Order: sequence, then C-alpha cells, then structure tokens
Amino acid sequence: MYAFNYHRPDTLEAAAAALAAAEDGRVMAGGQTLIPTLKQRLASPSDVVDLATVPGLGGVRREGDAIVVGAMVRHAEVAASAEVRAAIPALASLADGIGDPQVRNCGTIGGSIVNADPAADYPAAVVGLGATVRTDRRTIVGDDFFTGLFETALDEGEIVVSVSFPVPRRAAYVKFPNPASRYAVVGVMVADTASGIRVAVTGAGDSVFRVGAMETALAGNFSADAIRNVAVSQDALNEDIHASAEYRAHLVGVMARRAVAAAAG
Amino acid sequence: MDITGEYRIPLPREAVFAALNDPDVLGRCIPGCEALEQVDEDEYSADVVAKIGPVKARFQATITVSNLNPPESYTLSGEGRGGAAGFASGSADVSLETVDEDTVLRYTASIRPGGKIAQVGSRLMGGTARKLGAEFFSRFVEVVTPAPLSDERGPAGQEE
Repeated sequence: MYAFNYHRPDTLEAAAAALAAAEDGRVMAGGQTLIPTLKQRLASPSDVVDLATVPGLGGVRREGDAIVVGAMVRHAEVAASAEVRAAIPALASLADGIGDPQVRNCGTIGGSIVNADPAADYPAAVVGLGATVRTDRRTIVGDDFFTGLFETALDEGEIVVSVSFPVPRRAAYVKFPNPASRYAVVGVMVADTASGIRVAVTGAGDSVFRVGAMETALAGNFSADAIRNVAVSQDALNEDIHASAEYRAHLVGVMARRAVAAAAG
Repeated sequence: MDITGEYRIPLPREAVFAALNDPDVLGRCIPGCEALEQVDEDEYSADVVAKIGPVKARFQATITVSNLNPPESYTLSGEGRGGAAGFASGSADVSLETVDEDTVLRYTASIRPGGKIAQVGSRLMGGTARKLGAEFFSRFVEVVTPAPLSDERGPAGQEE
C-alpha cells in the first residue's frame, strides 16, 4: 500500500468537500474492494475519505410502499433485518449470499453499487426491483444507474445516501455462485412489481441488464414454463476461465426459471 | 479473446486512413492518454492512465503502427508497463472499406495483460478489451466526423 491522506469527516458536506479538495480522492464505504486494491498497489489515490462516521447513511426503514436502505448498511444487516425479511425476502436472501462473512459484515450496499462490479449481486436487486438511488445531489432511477463495466451515472464526487426498494408482490433472486468468491457467475432477480414484471441479470455481461422477452412472457403467465423457450444471446456476454459466454447465456435461462419458480412458489 | 466492432464514417477512405496515422488524433482517442509523442515514423510513446473500476494505474506505453496498406488497412499496437500493476499489450487490426460515399471501419482487437493485473483481473479482461476498443473507435469517429455547419464543436468545445 502506498501512503495517502486519510479523512474521517463527520458530515456529508465535509466528506464532499474533502473529496473535492483532493487531487485524486476516493470514497471508502466498507472497503472490501478498495482496501485489497490499495494493498495490491493497483491504485494509489492521494486521499481516502472514509464515510464510517458520517451520520444519516445507516439504517433500514419502511417508508410507505418501499424499504429504504442507507448507503452504509452492511450486507449482514440487510440479511438479518426483520423489515427486509418481511417485505422483500428476496433482498434479504440476496444480501445473505454475498461473499463471505467478512465481506457481509464490512461491505455496504452503497459501496457495492458504486463500484458496479459486473459480477456483484446488488445491481440485480437495484434494477430487478426497480429501486431508486438517492445521492447527496439528486435521485437516480435504478434502470439508469448502471452504465457499463464498473461505470455508473454518478458524477465526479457524488455520494450515494440511500437506496429505496419498492416492495414487490413477489420476487426471488437465484445465482450460480463462483464457488471460491461467491461472485455471481450469473445471478437473476425476477420480480412481480407494481410497475410490471422485471427480470434483471448480473454477472453475465459488462453490467446488469434486463431481459425484455422474459418479462413479456412472464406478464402473460408467471411460471417457469413461460420462459423455457426464451433464448438469450451470448453476444457480448462475459467469457473467462470460469464460464464461456455460451454457458453464461444458458445459465441465464436456468437461473431465471429457478427464480420464477421460487417467486411463484 | 478477440473483440470486433464496426463504424460508418461520412468521409473518404483516404481521409480516414490519414486520421488513423495522425498523432494528434491518436492522442485524443486512446482512452486515458495524457501525452503522446512521435519517436519514429511508425512509433509513438505515450503516458496512459488506465482506470478500470477500483484499479487506476499509469502506463508508459509504446504505440506502433504496422502492416501499413494505405488506404485499406493497418495494425495499431500498444505495449505498456504500469509499475507495480504489471504490464499489458494490445493490438487492433483495422480495415477500411468504401461504401457509397462513406467509409466503413472494422476492427478486431485483443488485449494481453501480464503481472498483477492479469492475476487479479483475468475475469474482467474480455469486458475491459470491449470497453477500451469501443472507447477508442467511438471517440475516433467523433473526432474525425465533420461537424454539421450549425454545430460549433471545435477544439475549444472539446471536453478533456
């Protein structure tokens, strides 16, 4: 690790100011990606702004028809939250399947979605459940939040405050995890929401994406059989030592059918 | 892994080929390029900052053009050392075809990382290659395409 200036601001404004003043500043949430990257010397920011002591970024609460999760809420908190388990069990089980106990007890929802790793689980929840992301400047519709490989709609220095998940009628998330890292080789969130059926896929492409053909088929008949013949193109899907693009395309269908069966069950 | 792409540019093939060999254009199109200098007829040296997710590394790169077959095709290659991050090389075979009054640019590119970035980032290399290729060529099309008369785009209006 190279030396950097460490900031521990106690307001959101002070965090934003420290970032703006830094030559090459990085925000730290749970540090589960940033710290290993720094240790490997794969990045050397001039300043790290730790959000740990910034108030207003924690807590899980019900607000009308939505569950609002603070940006600094740990995966383990979401998994154990009685509110989440009662309203959106699919979200609790998604959080419970992220990484290992250390990652779940340190990693945060804000850190996960801002990093926008193509194999992260939370992007499937943000897009699949039709969530809204609130930042220190505005709100961003979940569908518009992820823009590419490790890229989001956030501006330079913009900080995520919370994520609001509308409570679906039914939903389920099923993934094929990499056995070592628990990253999603392919993960699919299927949700029957007030704004229609949503099918969001993570792990398969550069970034989370929806499968319109499955959503249409499920709108008429919410059953695994309805999407049995929906083919997913392997074009532009990820290919690595864990799975070929063809295999990932196949897995999208399998995970989607399991998710539909789990949600319908 | 090879990645491919195709763009249609409203310019004659000769003009597109000349732009592909113009250091100023290359410097503006190479993702993360902070400085580019011609060191030989077919060789340039460049400072490139590669930023992919949490990783941000500065590379000292050598850019070479080869297989010159004006105005039809050439190969653009790059090779860089990023200190502790490791090293990477990549190349793109570019071909130009005249269709009506326009030029269709096609490329096939690949990227080969080494050292630490290859160790920790093997699962991301396909996506990274796609992203860098698309960034370079879409920026290239933007830079060389003549602006409509009403558009005030020029060097001064170009964002960094």
